[in-house]
Amino acid sequence: MPKIKIEQATYDRLAELSGKAGYSSVDEFVTHIIERELEKFQDASDDQQIEERLRGLGYIE
Amino acid sequence: MAFLRLGPRRLRAGELRLRAGEVLVAAAALVWLAASQFQLAAHWAGIALLDHFGHGQATLPVAPGEPTLAYIGPGAGIALIGSFLTIFIALLSAFAALLVWPLRLIWRLIRGRHAYKYAQVPRVVILGLDGLDPELAEKFMDEGLLPNLQRLRDEGSFRRLGSTWPPLSPVAWSSFSTGANPGKHNVFDFLTRNPSDYRPTISSVRLREPRRKFKLGRYIIPLSKPEITLTRKSKPWWKVLSDAGIFSAVLRVPVTFPPDKFHGVQLSAMCVPDLRGSQGIFTHYVETGQEGATMDGDVGGDRIRVTRNGRAVESYLRGPVNTLRVDRPEMRLPFRVVSDGNGAAKMRLDGQEIHLPLNKYSEWVRFAFHPAPGIKVHGICQFLLKSFEPPFDLYCTPLHIDPHKPVMPISHPASYATYLAAKHGTFATLGLAEDTWSLSEKVLTEDEFLEQTYEIHAEREAMFFDTLRCVRQGAIACVFDTSDRVQHMFFRFFDEKHPALQPQERASHAPAFREMYKVMDDLVGRTLEAIGDETALLVMSDHGFKPFRRGVDLNAWLVANGYMVLKDGAKTASHPYLVDVDWSKTRAYAIGLAGIYINKKGREGQGIVAPGQEARDLLRELSRKLTGLRDDQTGEVAIHEAVLSADVYRGPYIDQGPDLLIGYNVGYRVSWDAAVGKAGTAVFEDNRKAWSGDNCVHPALVPGVLFSNMKLREEPVNIIDIAPTVLELFGLEKPAYMDGKSLLPAETE
Repeated sequence: MPKIKIEQATYDRLAELSGKAGYSSVDEFVTHIIERELEKFQDASDDQQIEERLRGLGYIE
Repeated sequence: MAFLRLGPRRLRAGELRLRAGEVLVAAAALVWLAASQFQLAAHWAGIALLDHFGHGQATLPVAPGEPTLAYIGPGAGIALIGSFLTIFIALLSAFAALLVWPLRLIWRLIRGRHAYKYAQVPRVVILGLDGLDPELAEKFMDEGLLPNLQRLRDEGSFRRLGSTWPPLSPVAWSSFSTGANPGKHNVFDFLTRNPSDYRPTISSVRLREPRRKFKLGRYIIPLSKPEITLTRKSKPWWKVLSDAGIFSAVLRVPVTFPPDKFHGVQLSAMCVPDLRGSQGIFTHYVETGQEGATMDGDVGGDRIRVTRNGRAVESYLRGPVNTLRVDRPEMRLPFRVVSDGNGAAKMRLDGQEIHLPLNKYSEWVRFAFHPAPGIKVHGICQFLLKSFEPPFDLYCTPLHIDPHKPVMPISHPASYATYLAAKHGTFATLGLAEDTWSLSEKVLTEDEFLEQTYEIHAEREAMFFDTLRCVRQGAIACVFDTSDRVQHMFFRFFDEKHPALQPQERASHAPAFREMYKVMDDLVGRTLEAIGDETALLVMSDHGFKPFRRGVDLNAWLVANGYMVLKDGAKTASHPYLVDVDWSKTRAYAIGLAGIYINKKGREGQGIVAPGQEARDLLRELSRKLTGLRDDQTGEVAIHEAVLSADVYRGPYIDQGPDLLIGYNVGYRVSWDAAVGKAGTAVFEDNRKAWSGDNCVHPALVPGVLFSNMKLREEPVNIIDIAPTVLELFGLEKPAYMDGKSLLPAETE
């Protein structure tokens, strides 16, 4: 799994806040921040067969 | 059975500390960790890594191995590995693994000794009976039908176990795993939607095609792996145990696909797709009628018309799209069925001859599609021949991933599924393995559905009891789905007011409901015998059950009340997945089972409601109008309470879920249309489907059960309390992110 370097001061701040925010770890906190930013660059659903993936789920038709 | 006597209540904070003398061993362990990367390959080379997984400590490889093939169904790709290179690496790594084996053993002994130092019990067993209802359990206990659960109630503990908002399996089991509310684990429903384009997807897993690939003639060669990501966040209790060196075996706990990596073994469950990437598409082979989906709107199963050539019937298995080909054709495997003259038949498929008894399921059939030279996609299925004579009638289950050669990561370590298949035989791997759709579509009868369900149940029992025999120290969790599926499909026979009840069928099928509770009780009894006196046992369900008589079309209500506007001024939306919605004028919409989303600026692709005060005001208004919503036809209140998610969730992912959660009253649920983003003409409609029981109501109305051989604290207790309880039993402190609290009574009690 790739690793990213960040400033110690930033890490310390993340460590301090991650628990308060409800994350289970600093890693989860950082991943969430990054994923949230990446979503802005995400194309609309790139898979044209999303509906196919939902087939068979008993709760919906 | 005596109450379990717990050991001293001492908690250990933080991680294991190594003594100075153990540093050398720790260094050696690092060598082992490196070597373990290769163990999967060693398995493929035939090295015997699938030995027992041990007394005290696991000896099964805990290798974070990736599957050699990673096929993710439609719109996906296959990672290629050269076979020669694989064998070479396998032999090399097997040799390395053998060299470091003694060091690993020493490391395990030292670490294991400390790992359980503060444990109150050597072993914790969690038996999950999905959807087992406390009211019904109590009723049947009082009737004397459930002697084992009754013993636990009388001599241990029985509690109503509070569920999550909403009380849906993926949400509730995620809270079971993490000890946290959905705002922290990010699973709010079966479905979620991509806010940018409103399109739905499964909420707990993200599947994406390989990003880098190149074209070579008529083939597409992937240069990167497909993305298969578990979107459940936070940290499950088995990973917390793993950090402390404690082993866990986690079998078929929902929302574990792809599997976690930790010190232990895991078999994935709910949301594992079939080979086509769906949640399970069955095939019905017929001789007449239209081909295609068995229901309008391309839902349900597939219907394929066979060809009769003299004495033989010919058709094909419909496989996934071949994403390695430029033209992406559907892969097919032809088969030929010939009568044996006695009503039964023989099928020729993929070079094998398969016996098809009449009106009885075949054994699991293994086969492989061939997307490109040297590449195979392995699957399994079962057939049920209902008639060879005209009109031909053959049912085929969804095409499950073959556990002997899984093309997707369905277990941890990757070889664990193969181990289970080798030891217990081929087994169902699909997340929702019991084929409820085929019963809804009347392709299977009630009895045939039950036969399939109990066969899958038996497979899981074999794995569970084997794990009880092998894992003598650590945690074991296994979830059985039979209780959930039978109640979904058979509630109509148990509920006199149900619109789907066929009175003439009641006498023959109603006993199945009680029978299921007796089967679960028998399972509990055998579990009690197997665990002895030193194991802590928790028997639990994630939610209870209520009849689903009437559907509430939330989108029809939103349209009628001006919150949703449809394109061209239409009053109904007949296409699924919200495609008929005019987003420039829509303030709120419903999709999925849990509730309503605000069309929020900055979050939704075409949002129009400003976040902050405007959104809050709108939600309060919707909550006020929907709470107490009455069904004029029955005179009953359909919606018990509509609550703002911000009022019941805490955590960083709140904004990903529905903004308004709908707590339906008994007898009601979101309608079939609204769940997929359609809007019908009426707000209320009868549910006439075989899917007649449900749990998508207010959580206060469908608590689950919790039985134990320990004395637990009094109610209220909630599913988020299970994780901290497991940790305390092993002497570990509850991490700060967990919202639950241990169920063990305070020591002064």
